[in-house]
This record gives sequence, structure tokens and C-alpha cells, in this order.
Amino acid sequence: MSASVKQSLEKLGTAIFYLIMRILGQQGGYLLLYPVVFCYVLFDRRLKSTTCPYLIKRFPDAGSWQLFKHRFRLILSFGRVLVDRGWLEHDLHADIHCDTIGRQKLIELVNEGKGLVLVTAHVGNWYSALTRLNFLPAKVHALMQYDEATDGQHPFEEIGGGKTIGIINTDLDFGGMIEATAALQRGEVVIIMADRYIKGTSSIVDFMGEDVRLPNSAYTLAACVGAPVGVFLAAKLSAKHFQVKVWDTFYPQSQHRETRQQMLDESSLKFAGCLEKYLSKYPYQWYNFFDFWDLTKKNTQS
Amino acid sequence: MNDIKQKLKTILINDLKIQEAALEELDDNDPLFGEGLGLDSLDAVELAVLIHKHFDIQIVDAEKGKKAFSSINSLVNFISNLKKDS
Repeated sequence: MSASVKQSLEKLGTAIFYLIMRILGQQGGYLLLYPVVFCYVLFDRRLKSTTCPYLIKRFPDAGSWQLFKHRFRLILSFGRVLVDRGWLEHDLHADIHCDTIGRQKLIELVNEGKGLVLVTAHVGNWYSALTRLNFLPAKVHALMQYDEATDGQHPFEEIGGGKTIGIINTDLDFGGMIEATAALQRGEVVIIMADRYIKGTSSIVDFMGEDVRLPNSAYTLAACVGAPVGVFLAAKLSAKHFQVKVWDTFYPQSQHRETRQQMLDESSLKFAGCLEKYLSKYPYQWYNFFDFWDLTKKNTQS
Repeated sequence: MNDIKQKLKTILINDLKIQEAALEELDDNDPLFGEGLGLDSLDAVELAVLIHKHFDIQIVDAEKGKKAFSSINSLVNFISNLKKDS
């Protein structure tokens, strides 16, 4: 099948999903997912190769039939997150309830006035969770590649309560770090996806028993301005209920350039530890569909 | 201008831990980042914070930062122009 035909079919598929959601709501979208996901899991070879590295590590004793079931649940879960995202694009104030565990802690950290670096990952409904940060008493920015920010129809500019999220594009000079520094110096919040290494500096740390490369600029940023770091991960609990939890908070200490790598490695390891705990609780909410443990590749999948 | 330059070099040596010899070898018009002094984006963060701390000047965007950080001389000009304005 040619790329253009495939692209057209994908657009048609997305349009059908949106139509079903308009008519039958979120549940209609979920229902349509079952046959679609089943076909993908059955016939898409690439899907198998991109999900295997994680599934084998998470379920080391699983046979091929069990792995098939795990893959189905993983992709179904991802599909539900995409439906939720579409549903939020349709109605930002959709009846989707969010619990924030550690909400008061985050407010206290922001009120310290040193800025706050929130590190998160492509797990759970991270995208929807970003639209529920209006309780923070400061402007919120997301440091990310612009295409990632605008992927889909809803660039999560509005987060409710008349507030908006500012996007700091990592394709800017210095990877957007100058803008992020300025925001933190104003006491604002900067969200950074700390799981996928694309460019810049990194740390190699143990994650689920094997080394991975994680980006570490978030911790330098925090250390330089004296800001705290909060590890904040979202999990989908049911169709209309998700949870955002602060898994850890810490203050990376400023180090000069000769010794800062150790601080960066320790901070990255703390983040990896939080992710491991998260995945032991929510094994089907991991959405990094590439070989996360391949140290030679840059993680450009979105 | 010379005071600012001297203070800046002291900051680079004492706070950013740039080796004095490397700084002496560097022409004041050579780039600080990349092939010049070899600083990276994380150093840019530290430098922005240090300039804020020592000169009370905030670099708010990468466009200004790129111009200011292009060499020792451009950074000195950037600081002295803002000091004149304030």
C-alpha cells in the first residue's frame, strides 16, 4: 500500500472516529476502538516490533499468546487516551474528572517563588492532564518540540479558568532553555517531558533492569535557578476519571560544569525510579512505542 | 566597558569553571558556544543565571541570548547597553 493511500485511509479513519464521537459521545469512540485495535495488533508487524521491547521487560514470563493479549491491552489503552484527547478537543470542559494527588504540595512549591520544573513522561493521559493545571498559582509553560505541541487539533493553549499554557519550542537556539530559565526566574512553572531523549545532554541510567538514555536538561535548569523539581505522572483510571500524581519532589543542587554530571545522573535515576513504580501499577499506560533501551538511537517517535 | 569585561571573565572562570588558560587563548570576538569555548545549552542556562545574579540583567529569549552569547565582546556590549538604558 502506498504512503499516500495509507495517509488518506488514516485521515478517513480519524474522521470516522470524530463523527462517531459527535453522535455517540466518548463511549462510541471507545466501542469503535475494539475492532480497530484488534486489526492493528493482528496485522501490523511494525506495532509488534515497537511494543515488544517494553512488553518483554514488563512481562518477562509471558508467552507469545500472553504477549499478544498484553499488546492488545496496551494499544487499546493508548486508543482510549487518543479518544479522550479528541473528546477534549471537542469539548474542553468535558465531564472528565481529574484527581490531583500532591496538589497542595505543588501549590506550596510554586509559592516559594523560585519557579517549578515539572517533569513528566508519555504515560497515561499526559496530554489531557496538561489541560487540568489551572490550579497552579503561576503561568505554566511546556518545553517541547513545536510539532509535538501542535499535533492534533488542540494545542492545549487553554487550561481552564481563563489560563493558557505557553509553549517553549525546543527547536529554538539553546533548545528553548533561555526562555525556560527566564520563566523560572519569574517564579513560573515549566513542564518538561523527561523520558524521550532527542538532543542535548543526557544521562544513562538503569530502567527496568537495563540502561536507557534520558534527557537531563530539566535538572540543570532547576539547579541553576534553585527551583524544585516535581515528578508528575498522569494515569487514566476509568472512562471519565484520571489521576495526576506527584511521585517525587527534590531540589537538584547547583554544581559547576566539571561535576554536574553526577547530579544530573542522580536526578535522572530518581525520575526513572518513579516511572518504574508507576509502570508496576499501570502497566498498560506506557506510550513510548520504540526500543526505549536502544542507546544508539534518538527517540524521535511521537 | 573594560570593567564589565574583566568582571565577566572572572565570572566565567570562578562560577562557570572555564579554565583560565582556555579563556586567555580565546579572542574576545571568538564564539563562546560550539567550536569557540565549547559551551553547550546547559552552560547557556548557567550563564544567563549568572548574568542575572551579577548584573541584574535578565535574558528573556533565545534570539537576544544568541546575539549576546556570540562572543565576549558582544556580551560586554549587551550588558553595557542595558546598563546605560537603565
